[in-house]
Amino acid sequence: MSTIHRGLTVTVVVEEQMLEEINALLMKFNQHAKNNQAQYKENMPSTYFISWLTLPKQVYAKGVILPARILLMTSFVGNKNRHILELANFLGQRIQAVFEYSEEFPPTVSNLPDLISFIRKKTVFQAFYSGFKFIPPQEVSREKEIKDRVFEYLDQKRKYPGFTNLSPAKIKTEIEDFIKKQVEFGWVGQGTKSKKIDTFSMLLPLGVFLFLMGCSLICLILSIFLAPAALFWIGLIFPAFLVALGVLFLWLRINENNSHIANEPASDGWIRQIIEREKNSVLNEMTVISPLKKGLIRRIFLGLSLRLITLVGYFSYIPTVHTARWLQLDGGKRLVFIANFDNISEAYAHDFVDSDNRSRNMAVVFSHAAGFPATKWLVKRGYNHRSQYMNGVRVHQKITQFWYAFNTDLSVENLKNNHKFREALFKKMDEDEIREWLLTI
Amino acid sequence: MTLELNDMQGLLIRGFGNLLGAQYILLRFSDVALGKQYVNELLPSITPATDKPSDNAVQIAFTYAGFSFLQLPSEGLASFSREFREGMTESHRQFILGDRGENAPENWAWGNPAQEEIHLMLIIYSKDSETLAEKLLFEKTRADKFGVVELHSLPTGLLRDHKEHFGFRDDISRPIIEELVDNPVRQEGVTFPAGEFIMGYKNLYDEFAPAPHLPVILDPENILPKAPDFADKKDFGKNGTYLVFRQMEQDVFGFWDYLKSQGKDKEEAIRLASKMVGRWPDGSPLTLTPDKPDPAMSTSNAFGFWKEDKAGLKCPIGAHIRRTNPRDHLVTERTQKDSLEMAAKHRMIRKGRPYGVPVTEPLQPTEIMDLPRDNEKRGLHFLCLVTDIRRQFEFVQNNWVNFHKFGGLEHDADPIIGNHYKSDTVISDEFSIPEYPIRRKLKDMPNFTVIKGGSYFFFPGLRALHYLATHE
Repeated sequence: MSTIHRGLTVTVVVEEQMLEEINALLMKFNQHAKNNQAQYKENMPSTYFISWLTLPKQVYAKGVILPARILLMTSFVGNKNRHILELANFLGQRIQAVFEYSEEFPPTVSNLPDLISFIRKKTVFQAFYSGFKFIPPQEVSREKEIKDRVFEYLDQKRKYPGFTNLSPAKIKTEIEDFIKKQVEFGWVGQGTKSKKIDTFSMLLPLGVFLFLMGCSLICLILSIFLAPAALFWIGLIFPAFLVALGVLFLWLRINENNSHIANEPASDGWIRQIIEREKNSVLNEMTVISPLKKGLIRRIFLGLSLRLITLVGYFSYIPTVHTARWLQLDGGKRLVFIANFDNISEAYAHDFVDSDNRSRNMAVVFSHAAGFPATKWLVKRGYNHRSQYMNGVRVHQKITQFWYAFNTDLSVENLKNNHKFREALFKKMDEDEIREWLLTI
Repeated sequence: MTLELNDMQGLLIRGFGNLLGAQYILLRFSDVALGKQYVNELLPSITPATDKPSDNAVQIAFTYAGFSFLQLPSEGLASFSREFREGMTESHRQFILGDRGENAPENWAWGNPAQEEIHLMLIIYSKDSETLAEKLLFEKTRADKFGVVELHSLPTGLLRDHKEHFGFRDDISRPIIEELVDNPVRQEGVTFPAGEFIMGYKNLYDEFAPAPHLPVILDPENILPKAPDFADKKDFGKNGTYLVFRQMEQDVFGFWDYLKSQGKDKEEAIRLASKMVGRWPDGSPLTLTPDKPDPAMSTSNAFGFWKEDKAGLKCPIGAHIRRTNPRDHLVTERTQKDSLEMAAKHRMIRKGRPYGVPVTEPLQPTEIMDLPRDNEKRGLHFLCLVTDIRRQFEFVQNNWVNFHKFGGLEHDADPIIGNHYKSDTVISDEFSIPEYPIRRKLKDMPNFTVIKGGSYFFFPGLRALHYLATHE
């Protein structure tokens, strides 16, 4: 089974006047999820997070009304079809009860296959990020448990004379012998699934793209010396790509000259409503949905940027974030961003603005959103960048009526650490590697 | 940009270390007109940053309630930061600061607005205790004359060798304001533009720190300077800043009793305590001298963690100095540059002083451990100056000091100043010490410091004080 983390976003348009009722329903379901965490975990074993919310109407570029919507966004592991089946099986009735408010929900939906078909049909593209790649939900608690047990064991052994003088290899053997003796840890012997296929799958689109560009460049060079016309035409792909990119940048630069309309400051009342909901002790969630700045190029450029993020997703890194996604709605006129992260949003937002690198990367996406700081050539930031960014996030932040998290206790660093510990069990390592590995316990 | 030192209160650029006596007086106005007259009469006595007095210095700061009472125009009041307006004890601020349980405002001696409303604070520095007593009496008489009521008078006392009550050398790492240095060279994490700590100047984001302001029309006497970000506003914040005050009571005997219980002898107790702090009692940093203290390094501050100690084998990741100033290594960052940039954005200028009688002098841990518990109250009056309470003070307190998952840890708040407790969802009373072959975990730590009072103040420039005293 694949262990790639993915996102699913299902959305429909709904009448604005229905939102109050839908919100009440979502909040009721939210309470149910909170009260029945174990049941959710058991029945949705592939699901890490669910954010389910309504989005009121928004105004895009002077008077274009973007419709109210319902958004269901999940972060899951593995096969998408299997995940949709899991959702429909366990949450089917609730999904139907909420989506029925939309005229896009076919009245003919009467059974599971119909509902699955509806979910598939209303799924949209997104750029997805995971901060703890290749860890399936069912591994989370058992990796923590085995690490805790090993710590207790070693902590006891510490008192034995000479134990702390043992070589790293001997310590590792001690640990592995201990685990072998514990019946409940029999699963460890099966080892971890090789990540090679999943890594290959994640890198494949980027590989294909680079291969295509590389081939084109080679063909272009060869066409100078060799006659076949095909070489010339294939060789044109690479320069054509660069020219297209240049044209898009110029177009964007012209658009950037439009007068910048900053967001009004977020009111205290609104901020209080938001922060009141993020009091979970380890993880919290943030949803930011904003119309884009005026201009077709903004929609095109953001669309391309999101595809680029998908292409390089394997290498991207955002500290403290468990999962995040960016997507466009309503013909590309709306940007949706959600993140599940450690601690609270005021701390999390600093991850973006406090580092020059990330501040630049963030501009690639958020500079297209209405009211967010103006840029030059996409990434060159202007004055008051930080203040306007922080304000933009708050102004466009939405309240998520339903939020479910499979893991509520472990930070992203905890998850990675526990996995690193488990992965190295019964594997050959040299002394230095073992010393480093022991630090994960 | 040149600093307008003649418009600043002196504490912004110096600690008045030559004035050994100091007292923090918390006051409340009882009448608006008299209150303004009081500020007006006091104004010439306020020590500006251009003076380096040898006898007395007087500084003044206001709470939001104080500004409201003196009827600062509503536009001005609304332009203060939300944190300042809400105050330290508002429920979300409490959550951010981790002020729960023992540390909850209900247990404070002062600063809980449910019990009393503080309007202003006078800080008096004097060369010795006699001069201080005289000055306090003088200021008490002045306050009485204008119906300004003294609520609390909090004494301080500097300890020998720059120590705090647990016996560790304190206040070694201090940010340097670039504008105060000749030919400054920006050194990430060491030097800072003035705007990080003083309003009216550019900060690390190359922006003017958000500052309180007023419509031009409300300043007919043209007392205040123009606001840098708004053509139609006057800058009430220029040459001022926010002042955070927390009274942290230290349980010296509890601290060393706990460490004795964890170590086989005094030497080990001191080693464990040093791991908690990140420096040996004499101040020498574990990162540079991990096995034993080195008095030659007692004020050493030129070190990082990225190259020297990424895993925390010398100075644990969760040690106090690594949380309050992670320097060039944050576990969640992938590069030294990003770590440096992140850490630099959350620094403060500390100006506090200890209070209470030391358990012994000099404060040698070996001696402290032999002493029987006494009933004295002692601790630290923590004062810090920041232009952004949320980004600087609250961020550090929330994300680095109290977040039990800091740096990949599991159940660890700051071992010295963190709030240690167990609840249904959080355990924060452990301390991890990376060691070979297995980390050592200290468990069930009680609180070694407890908050006994606190408030957010604004520390205005002199023109702003003049405006406050004379506005219609």
